[in-house]
Amino acid sequence: MAGITTHVLDNLVGLPGAGMRIDLSIFEGGSWKLLRTLVTNADGRTDQPVLSPAEAKVGQYELAFYIGDYYASQGGGKVPSEAMFVDRIAPLRFSLFDVKQHYHVPMLCTPWSCATYRGR
Amino acid sequence: MDELNIDRRGLLASALALGGSVVSTRAMAADPQPQAPAALSVAPTSQAGLSPRLTFHAVDIFHGASGAGLKLELSRFEEGNWKLLKTVETVAGGRPADPLLVGDTYVPGRYEVLMNVGEYFERLGAKLPQPAFFGKVPLRIVIQDASKRVHLPVLFSPWGFSFYRGS
Repeated sequence: MAGITTHVLDNLVGLPGAGMRIDLSIFEGGSWKLLRTLVTNADGRTDQPVLSPAEAKVGQYELAFYIGDYYASQGGGKVPSEAMFVDRIAPLRFSLFDVKQHYHVPMLCTPWSCATYRGR
Repeated sequence: MDELNIDRRGLLASALALGGSVVSTRAMAADPQPQAPAALSVAPTSQAGLSPRLTFHAVDIFHGASGAGLKLELSRFEEGNWKLLKTVETVAGGRPADPLLVGDTYVPGRYEVLMNVGEYFERLGAKLPQPAFFGKVPLRIVIQDASKRVHLPVLFSPWGFSFYRGS
């Protein structure tokens, strides 16, 4: 499978990050264009691919993770907003260079850290 | 890792075409990064006791080295927009020569450090697809309390990064 998928792991509690909003955008014509808004399911993944193989184009994409809202609401721990170090929205920008490949980009987060990588 | 494997097969084929021995071909395949920066050679730095400030440290975990020569754009969120405050570059050791913010410039707010990871690895001759997976990588943090020092370490490679509130 090609396209883009993600997986949110809440490393504050060691559990999938469920109910986190993610905005997918593509860089086109000199600006970011919102393609869709997704919400992670109970396993921290999205029910549908972030970007389907048919939609994949070479170019730059952004996944904006609403980490602030997540920790302010259903985020497992009671993290006051004034304790956050990560901004309310954590953008992850990367390029698709070959639409036949799959791009799995997990987001591991706490209120004080973010980690991501190209996974499988 | 498919891309790297393909690259290594490509190296193998080209070396054989040039009449290279199997031994030297393997050496090339094992070290496809001829222009890697110098390895880490300085001891970790403690900033305990320094005045409130925002400091930054980049570690290149692809080469196992300091992220020296990494271009950064520092912005603050003001009136609905990200306003560029300054452009700086890390020096030997992977830190900018000066704190990103200190003294009067260190005020609470939402900040973005835009790291030019694409340019960094291209300059070092890393063999990567085009467009590279990472171009300019934004890190967004919040300075909540200007009376407290904040350190922002970033570990990065062509395929991933992590950042956290350091000390």
